[in-house]
Amino acid sequence: MKKVFRVPDMSCPNCAMHLEGLEDELPGVKRINASYKKQVMEVEFDEALLSIEQILQAANAIGYHPESDAS
Amino acid sequence: MDLIVAFVTGLTTGGLGCLAVQSGLLASTLAYQVEQDMLAHSVDASRKFKPHIARPIFLFLLAKLVAYTILGFLLGALGSALQLTPLMSAILYLAIGVFMLGNGLRMLNAHPVFRFFVIEPPSFLTRYIRRKSKDGASLVTPLFMGTLTIFLPCGVTQAMMAAALGTSSPVQGAALMFAFIFGTTPLFFSVSYFATRLSAAVEKHFTRIVAVTMLILGLVSVDSGLNLAGSPFSFSRAWNSVAVAISDSVNGVQSGFAIHVTDDGYSPIVLHLPAGTPVSIEWVTEGTQSCARSVVVPGLEYHEILPPVGRVRFDIPAQEKGTVINYSCSMGMYPSQLVFDLDS
Repeated sequence: MKKVFRVPDMSCPNCAMHLEGLEDELPGVKRINASYKKQVMEVEFDEALLSIEQILQAANAIGYHPESDAS
Repeated sequence: MDLIVAFVTGLTTGGLGCLAVQSGLLASTLAYQVEQDMLAHSVDASRKFKPHIARPIFLFLLAKLVAYTILGFLLGALGSALQLTPLMSAILYLAIGVFMLGNGLRMLNAHPVFRFFVIEPPSFLTRYIRRKSKDGASLVTPLFMGTLTIFLPCGVTQAMMAAALGTSSPVQGAALMFAFIFGTTPLFFSVSYFATRLSAAVEKHFTRIVAVTMLILGLVSVDSGLNLAGSPFSFSRAWNSVAVAISDSVNGVQSGFAIHVTDDGYSPIVLHLPAGTPVSIEWVTEGTQSCARSVVVPGLEYHEILPPVGRVRFDIPAQEKGTVINYSCSMGMYPSQLVFDLDS
């Protein structure tokens, strides 16, 4: 499943790299592409292993607050 | 750009700006070393010197310094191969200035459109670098990671890379990047070694300082571009005209036919010459080492690199009365004028 989140609190390109780093931390995530310019994060994941809520919690834990209604 | 300016830029804005982009990479590189130390109980909290941590940081920063110096060399060589004319250099300086102004305004969150001034590395590259940084123990890892930072340049570094291109000289390009990256090293080392994390409030404060400095450097670069293009309007030219007006009222109008080229620019700043007849002036250097030696007169398509010591003749065809010809050094600094307003 692919899900796009709006992340309005990305303040620099480094934030996008931080968020992309979650793909190494969260089991079930296949790929994360984040863009500071677009202020979005696209997550490709296995919904059998991971829920949207868990993705949001993981992002919150590193200081970002994605909004799941982007797509 | 002066090497001291490049060093100070690295020490201040470069260090802070690049720390945000590259500190994660360095932290990942250090993580393995820290874990090993903790497992082996080799880290005594009371010890002030931690060579286990200092070594990979040192290697990371050394590799970064070498990589960027080589990059500066290559950029300078590219600029040399492109044979940048003064006008092309002017356009480059203007572009650097706009880029820095855009980044400064982005950092101040002036408008979302300024986010497009950031050059983001592609995801596959950041993914590769991130995973490689967690590879492990060998000393090769920090060296490799330090080298890879050339693919993650922050905004200030990108502007400095453009300036290296503008030097049109491999040696000057390398020296510029060396001075800048060397300047960033103390802050990088301190933050990494002492594992200090800047609080959100302090980081926000620092970001504003970096943003304001970027805006100032951006204006300086735009000013250089305008001077180099021979534009009659630039900030430094406006300042000069005030200074000259005061000086003229005290000393009277200059009427010499020699221009003294010093490390601080050209004297007199405004040289009054006879109109309607060809004139010759002399550039006089007496141990001059600054970029003032590389003099550019865009209106007459004249570019000459003067010897450190000597006199070089410059023949100027007859000019109409009232003609003003602007010139500067090849880096757009020290804007000065030839004014043809004397009776021949």
